[in-house]
Amino acid sequence: MKLNTDMTVNRITDEIWEIPPSEKSGMLVPARIYATREILQAMDSGVFDQVTNVACLPGISRYALCMPDGHWGYGFPIGGVAAFDVHEGIISPGGVGYDINCGMRLIRTDLTLADVQPRLEQLMTELFRKVPAGVGASGFVRLSREEFRRVMTDGARWCVERGYGWHRDLVRMEEGGCIEGTDPSIVTDHAIQRGINQLGTLGSGNHYLEVQVVSNDGIFDPVTAAAFGITGHEQIVVMVHCGSRGFGHQVASDYLKVFEKSMRRYGITVKDQQLACAPFRSPEGQEYFSAMNCAANTAFANRQVITHQIREAFATVFGRSAEALGMELVYDVAHNIAKVERYPEGDLVVHRKGATRAFGPGSPELPGPFRQTGQPVICGGSMETGSYLLVGTDQAVRDTFGSTMHGAGRTMSRAQAKRTVRGAQLQQQMKQRGILVKAVSMSGLAEEAGVAYKNISEVVESVDRAGITKKVAELRPIGNIKG
Amino acid sequence: MAWTFRFLEEIALADIAFDAEGESIEEVFRGATQALLQSMATPSTVAETWERTIEQRDVDPSALLYDWLSEVVYWKDAAGVVYREAPLTLTHEHDVWLLRARLIGAPVDQQTQELHADVKGITKHLYALKQTSDGWQARVVLDV
Repeated sequence: MKLNTDMTVNRITDEIWEIPPSEKSGMLVPARIYATREILQAMDSGVFDQVTNVACLPGISRYALCMPDGHWGYGFPIGGVAAFDVHEGIISPGGVGYDINCGMRLIRTDLTLADVQPRLEQLMTELFRKVPAGVGASGFVRLSREEFRRVMTDGARWCVERGYGWHRDLVRMEEGGCIEGTDPSIVTDHAIQRGINQLGTLGSGNHYLEVQVVSNDGIFDPVTAAAFGITGHEQIVVMVHCGSRGFGHQVASDYLKVFEKSMRRYGITVKDQQLACAPFRSPEGQEYFSAMNCAANTAFANRQVITHQIREAFATVFGRSAEALGMELVYDVAHNIAKVERYPEGDLVVHRKGATRAFGPGSPELPGPFRQTGQPVICGGSMETGSYLLVGTDQAVRDTFGSTMHGAGRTMSRAQAKRTVRGAQLQQQMKQRGILVKAVSMSGLAEEAGVAYKNISEVVESVDRAGITKKVAELRPIGNIKG
Repeated sequence: MAWTFRFLEEIALADIAFDAEGESIEEVFRGATQALLQSMATPSTVAETWERTIEQRDVDPSALLYDWLSEVVYWKDAAGVVYREAPLTLTHEHDVWLLRARLIGAPVDQQTQELHADVKGITKHLYALKQTSDGWQARVVLDV
């Protein structure tokens, strides 16, 4: 089998591959990659190099993992998962990413394609108007510094109290949309200045808002789908992908510098500067954890304000309230975060960077609606090919620290995508295929063309066959907003 | 022009990587700055209605370049602007490198400006400022 690495990669099962610690000096545990043979063969060299770098970090437990959507990132690969002992291990911004709590949100509706198709242009125009996207965009919510601190501590709860959402939304979010353990006093002024005007904005890059359709033949598990509010029959749903915006980006930048300096004091060396880290229990480690939680809460709040705007846009276009349109939240889940979770080894700091929590039905952390089903997992594909709703499993909790994939994963660089595809032409072609795209940047649109991504169906198939998530429904795009 | 830059295709697939080169450290600062500005918006489409003077110093020119590029990203969000140009000078006195720069641009305007990526941060992945046989080179990976 030809791979983009010289390292030995052993087959564990058809969907699990292992690089033994003997392959790189300093590896403390094996590295495991979840992928079909075909996906593994197509993975870039950065994945193998970076996942084995992660395996060298102090206090790592069991394995350094990479999911099938994995590709070359910085520090950790995108799709990377690693868990560290809370006493002996580290915490690293490179294992979370700059966009802290970048995540996915899915909103269901009672509308069908027949209801929406005639008004799709109007709907996308209204959504594009109400949800700012692109470089430097600011939101409609004006906050004092004191209020912004409350966003940091209360997350989506703050939004609901301010009328940007419904109380029952909170049950359908990871951590109820509010992570404990924040300390706004340690957040820098730079971070506040970067984020204070950005609540309710999408950003750019691979962030988007997408109107999608669920057909009957796109439902793989009708019972679980129904429990999540997904009923098929050309049902309309709305997906949102974004994170903590400039605030989270600055928190990551600030602590990368702090950790670079403190690593020397703690005698830690890393294979890549971007893996700068601190012992989790050190003052620096605890400060970053608190600041990261502040950013995670602003991301929950950001997606909640966007949800409010989406509901208003639908109500305007269809002349009925969001409640009457059945616009309930399916779920909101993070895929760039570090969290303390309990496993047989004890309390571990689980880093997920481009990887999604995927707790199964047996998990006590899940709220009422998901105790029977397991946790919804939302995976965004490219804007041309569609996305998936999956469900977490107990096997994920046993095998992958309760983690799974987050999206399709890139196969082509942004520069190459722009050379291959022209944004305006792509927009026209997608319109002919029934997908209406509104974009701030045509070059940004070209970078996100479907050709730049793996086939999400193959990626989903590998985690389904590995048993760490199961397919629930396929979601087909009809309208997309990009920054 | 004593500096150049080129975007790298096969590094960090989801992000933007570039090499900047210059005859001197000052020139490589200019090349890296231009690459960053162009990653966010086409400079010629941005007006000159906003300006900020920046002064930074460090004994390590590599750390100074990182901090300067991070500052450019910071003002993009803090002031909601993109940039037309960023003239700068770099001097070395008493073992300290001193950067004096002006950030010149305008508030984001989707109607008139050609906008590109919303840069999240300057990563340390593969980050380097080094002397070469032809001058100086910086490698930078932007998270976008």
